[in-house]
Amino acid sequence: MAKEVAPRPLRFYGEGISYLKNVESKGSLIVIEGPDGSGRSTQIDAITGKLEADGHAVITTGLKRSELIGAGILEAKHKLPLGKKTLALFYAADFADQLEHKIIPALHAGYVVLADRYIYTLMARSNVRGIGRSWSHDLFGFAIEPDLVFYLDVPPEELFHRVFQKYGSLDYYESGADMGLADDLFMSFVLYQRSIAKEFKFMESKYGIARIDGGRSIPEVNADLQSRIDSYLNHER
Amino acid sequence: MVKEITSKGKKKVLLTPTTFSLLHATDFADRYERNIAPLLEAGYFVLADRYIYTAFARDVVRGCSPAWVRKVYSFALPPDVAFYFRVPTEVAMGRIMEGRPKLKYYEAGMDLNLSNDEYESYRIFQGRIVEQYEAMVENDRFVVVDGSLDIEEQQERMRRRVEQLLPQAGGGSAVGGPEAP
Repeated sequence: MAKEVAPRPLRFYGEGISYLKNVESKGSLIVIEGPDGSGRSTQIDAITGKLEADGHAVITTGLKRSELIGAGILEAKHKLPLGKKTLALFYAADFADQLEHKIIPALHAGYVVLADRYIYTLMARSNVRGIGRSWSHDLFGFAIEPDLVFYLDVPPEELFHRVFQKYGSLDYYESGADMGLADDLFMSFVLYQRSIAKEFKFMESKYGIARIDGGRSIPEVNADLQSRIDSYLNHER
Repeated sequence: MVKEITSKGKKKVLLTPTTFSLLHATDFADRYERNIAPLLEAGYFVLADRYIYTAFARDVVRGCSPAWVRKVYSFALPPDVAFYFRVPTEVAMGRIMEGRPKLKYYEAGMDLNLSNDEYESYRIFQGRIVEQYEAMVENDRFVVVDGSLDIEEQQERMRRRVEQLLPQAGGGSAVGGPEAP
């Protein structure tokens, strides 16, 4: 059975959310980062099953899923190109909505929250588009620090094959097509994913992100992630 | 476009102070990136009917961290001149309430649970916002205009202040800027 956890204050990256200062966490926030095709959702499904079997209450959350503006983000993308800061703030609003309405209440209630991407993807996307890293960091001063963060690292050339097999085409933004990196979408995809990966490498030590070799088989990656998560849940917290 | 989504969120009455702040910041950034910044670069005089200070006052009253709100808006250039129209709260309230306008939920500050009566809530809310503006007057170097003076007198004083910014030989064109963030 899952171990009982003593309530502890929420830890924020910056100024935090002052009107939630009395809210405590009895749960754990575990983040899986990585590009499309890196195996995030497959791994999250497997981890959810295992943790539930072990007696944990688990909830998953991701970007672009909030009720508030989730759908709006996609519409905005397709109708007109928004400015860089505008888009960054838009995603931050969507993230804040999920943080306050879903993640924090779940942590308060003692859930293990598995986040399918978190602020790091949002910061990486902004930063590779020329937004200052310190502004991105400050913007998310209201975000809580996760207990564990993993980054599934897969070389862009390998990602390209996985994305094509799965969707049959490349996503405009995930290929960085708005950035004018290359004339063809394949080159643009590779260059864009390479710069995102570089940004993650830069963020690793600052945000305590554990790099996981996502180029291995699904069971191998799963065993790696699961043992790290189990060790955290059973011993460290 | 951004405005539409902002108001969709407001209609649902689901906004927290943080999401409220970020949606307004999104809207402001859209106007800034599309309108204010390119016009300034091209040499225009941009007249903004409210600017970042509106957000500073409003979001802080709602409970956001003052330092955080300022960091979020740090991409916006500080204005060359910021006029602040100071009127006694009762006068301002009197002008607004004259026609007993229908107040919107967030506009009346109803999300702050100040009062069940929306006019009473609005009065308290506006009072707190004025406190925030007053606290900014010195540090943000507002040029205070006495809003109880004749309109023509106010206009005279503003013109004298704006003239100091004008190039000696004239030139430059003015456009109406966007409204509040």
